[in-house]
Amino acid sequence: MSIEVYRIDDRLVHGQVVVGWGQPLALRFIVLVDDAIVQSDWERELYRMGTPPEMDLFVESVESCALRLPEFDSRADPGLLVAPDVATMARLCSMAPGIRQVNVGGIHHVAGRVPRLPYVFLSPAEEAGLRALAATGVAISAQDVPGADAVPLDDLLARDGS
Amino acid sequence: MTASVPPLPLRTRLLILARLLTLQGSYNYETMVGNGIAFAMEPALRLLPGGRGGDAYRAAMARESRYFNAHPYMAAMAVGALARAELALEDPGRIERFRTAACGPLGGVGDRLVWAGWLPLCSLLALLCFGLGASPGAVVATFLLLYNAGHVALRVWALDAGWRSGLACGPALGRPVFRNGPAILARAGAVVGGAAIPLVVAGASGARLPGVVVIGAVGAAGAVALAASGGRVPGWRAALLFLLLAAVAALVV
Repeated sequence: MSIEVYRIDDRLVHGQVVVGWGQPLALRFIVLVDDAIVQSDWERELYRMGTPPEMDLFVESVESCALRLPEFDSRADPGLLVAPDVATMARLCSMAPGIRQVNVGGIHHVAGRVPRLPYVFLSPAEEAGLRALAATGVAISAQDVPGADAVPLDDLLARDGS
Repeated sequence: MTASVPPLPLRTRLLILARLLTLQGSYNYETMVGNGIAFAMEPALRLLPGGRGGDAYRAAMARESRYFNAHPYMAAMAVGALARAELALEDPGRIERFRTAACGPLGGVGDRLVWAGWLPLCSLLALLCFGLGASPGAVVATFLLLYNAGHVALRVWALDAGWRSGLACGPALGRPVFRNGPAILARAGAVVGGAAIPLVVAGASGARLPGVVVIGAVGAAGAVALAASGGRVPGWRAALLFLLLAAVAALVV
């Protein structure tokens, strides 16, 4: 087992993660990677309260996560790692070359982003970040829930959001 | 900067609750239910200095209309918490961080409790009524009364919990009903489903008592096999297989 999904999702620990992915994959732990949340007691508490009791939640910075990744990968039960944005996941991948697949699960609308899928809005910088990550050999696809079709990066960036 | 928070008048609270019932109507891919959050909170924002249309009111409405995505029933907690924060003139940066952080936990808790627990249980209870011979009207009424009682109660509690605790409402999500409730509802659903499905299949196929017993026995055997598999077999596939076997058995018997 170990970490089965490396996901970019700005909602972090939410229903699609704990129910949509959590139930079919029988997830038993979630690694939340966010440099700001790791320093905020009330935010860590909020995410812990939103995590089902049968799952462990680890809140890590990028650096601490890269150091602990072998430990997470050696667990006997399946887990999911989630980062809030492309830049965070790219930094983690650069420090942990063992990550070979990344799932884009939810990047939502803010000014400057354009829709690629109903649940993926990307800025030009984020698109460049995803291309750079793919160039290092990481397979990237968009997929919100396990039952949906995975959209490869090239297809994703060619879409207009409809 | 924070200020003392005025009490929330009953009329304002009722207006917010009524508007929360429309939350899902605001759904869109760009801001999700952000517009609905602002619309639901608006009666409370009229209490800001300057009143309706004042600078504080307009700034708060703009802030609260931004992207927000959570379970539509649990969003009531965010509305209560954010209304209190706005009336306390809380730092907008802290409000924004709360809005970002609240989406996931309120979505995760609500999805597990309602979509994966309460809704299937109410559906199965209505199915059980049908299997026991209730009229179609009684079946529909059973479902609507049960389901709506649950989600209205959840919204009322969530709004109050959010308002009482403000941005520090996170620990309220640690209550046993949220931690253990989904698992209890899932088990209750399995029990009710186990009783309802044989009765419904028997009724639909015209099977008599022996057929009902066979259907129940096949279902029980399936449940034992599923438990013995230790979760290696996806539940929905196994359920469909055993349902098919039970239906065939009922027709043969």
